[in-house]
Amino acid sequence: MTNPYIPMKAEIVSIKTETRDIKTFRLKPLGGKLKFEAGQFVEVSVFGVGEAPISISSDPDVDDYFELSVRRVGSVTGALFKLSEGAIIGVRGPYGRGWPLKESEGMDVLIVGGGCGAAPLRPAILKLLRSRDRYGRIELLYGARTPSDVMYMEEFEAIAEGSGCRVLLTVDTIAPDNRWRYSVGVVTSLFDKISVNPFRSVALVCGPEIMMMYAVRDLLRLGFKPENIYLSMERRMRCGLGFCGHCQIGRKYVCLDGPVFSYSEIAPMPDKIV
Amino acid sequence: MNTFIADLHDLDRLVEVARSRYSVYAPVRRGRGYVFSKIEGMSDTDLRYNRTILPPTKIFHRPKEVLLRFQLADGPEFGEVVEVEPMMIFGVHACDLNAILRLDRFFTRRFEDPYYLARRRGSVVVALNCNGPRDEYCFCASLGTGPTVYGGYDILLTEVRDRMFLVEAGSEIGANLIDEARFRRASMSDMEAKKAVASTAKREFRRYADFRSLSYPVIEVLAHTVWDEEADKCFSCGNCSLVCPTCYCYEIYDTLDMDLNSGFRVRRLDSCQLYGYAEVALGGNFRKSRKARLRHWMVCKFGGAAGGELSSCVGCGRCIFYCPARIDITSVASRLREAV
Repeated sequence: MTNPYIPMKAEIVSIKTETRDIKTFRLKPLGGKLKFEAGQFVEVSVFGVGEAPISISSDPDVDDYFELSVRRVGSVTGALFKLSEGAIIGVRGPYGRGWPLKESEGMDVLIVGGGCGAAPLRPAILKLLRSRDRYGRIELLYGARTPSDVMYMEEFEAIAEGSGCRVLLTVDTIAPDNRWRYSVGVVTSLFDKISVNPFRSVALVCGPEIMMMYAVRDLLRLGFKPENIYLSMERRMRCGLGFCGHCQIGRKYVCLDGPVFSYSEIAPMPDKIV
Repeated sequence: MNTFIADLHDLDRLVEVARSRYSVYAPVRRGRGYVFSKIEGMSDTDLRYNRTILPPTKIFHRPKEVLLRFQLADGPEFGEVVEVEPMMIFGVHACDLNAILRLDRFFTRRFEDPYYLARRRGSVVVALNCNGPRDEYCFCASLGTGPTVYGGYDILLTEVRDRMFLVEAGSEIGANLIDEARFRRASMSDMEAKKAVASTAKREFRRYADFRSLSYPVIEVLAHTVWDEEADKCFSCGNCSLVCPTCYCYEIYDTLDMDLNSGFRVRRLDSCQLYGYAEVALGGNFRKSRKARLRHWMVCKFGGAAGGELSSCVGCGRCIFYCPARIDITSVASRLREAV
């Protein structure tokens, strides 16, 4: 029996600073590859500090390396931020169910991200654009608190340039002297501008749960079906294996049944905001 | 027929035989309660015990254990630590045996938990039928998890007459142990006596529970006012989880030695009744209120456990007995049953 608690070693090959508190770590698995689907997560070990569940944010079709875009919020992420290139960490996974990309073929796709919620959406975006002709309209809405909190800025602008995906960006507030070429307001304020057809569209949503609550409310109002609204839920997955119980929402285990749920699956469960 | 009869002296021989291969754990009196503890012979144990404070599932799924060892210098380097001790668990009631069988299924669901399974697979269970409720807290009969055992044991004991036990083998290992202990064959009347015990045992229960259709996500259950009333009494102490034979939730954390180089990754039982259990980054907490925590715990017992695949209460009565606020899962359930 292989022990699922034993991590695989991975070397940090590069670190990119995205915002003041988000960095993207490119990791090379040592002694194996990490095959994953868009929307899955791994348990990251910084030995002596602990483990934390982190979404994989790179292209699922690239398997020489994978990337984790991490916001510094606690002890493990704090320790990760102190590491530099060449450091070895532990990784186990991938875990969970990702975005329903195969099931969404033939439909329009609306992607809605908030803050570091862009991280688990990025693999989906890259994958969708690679098989662009299998989908209808694709639109990406992304919101952050301020212009300096926007992650993947250059990448989003490059996507907007070509590749058949509309990109709408917004921030909650800007400083008076800030040159920000896009919208100001919460991400749901961009819903007025969408051109996907709600009746034959899926929505892939990830962000703070309060943002997802407002997004779902507005999407339903626009005519999206509850079973076509997909949310990536954040809970404290300690084991990733469906054992430790911490990520349970009602009877759903975020680590096994999620982290991506359709709204219709998760709506009847208690102890959540959305 | 593989049915035998044994008195306490005969069972002593079984323990003696088993001790050459296993550590034998049995209910032992400690203060006003009982605990599963290592025994050397039948004089150490009391087979008329009501219930142990901690259930035998926690012998396999330990309250605290090391998962792996690591060192940071020139590394990190790490490796698993699986502590296995071949064990015989002697005198397990039907409720607790059913809890073990549920954890067996739980820990082999999508992934396998090597720590639980290593201990479980290296062990032998001697189950003990109950001749009725052990006290007023027992309610296994209404849940179908007792008082009589129907499978999942290596050896099964039934007290058919005063201190005389009918002994049945449920596995090859069990049969071999019985063989070595050289028990007398049971008579027809012994076997008849077991049937009589089983049929009268069921009838003596006064506590009753019906958990059907009380699981997630029934709105009448989740929105019921009983949760506000019970949460007003609840101390969020987590006693119910600690003593529950099917509470499996745990926390994982690292500890670093004084040399700041070597350390362990540890898991420790956790409880959804404790405030920090549902915390996420940046202070978010999805079960801030005692009400939400108490409701989550009970609805998990009603059948939300393991994603709704398992109903996880076995009617052992521990959570009622050990609750300092006298919260009673059976009375909460009957209030809820009126609403569904």
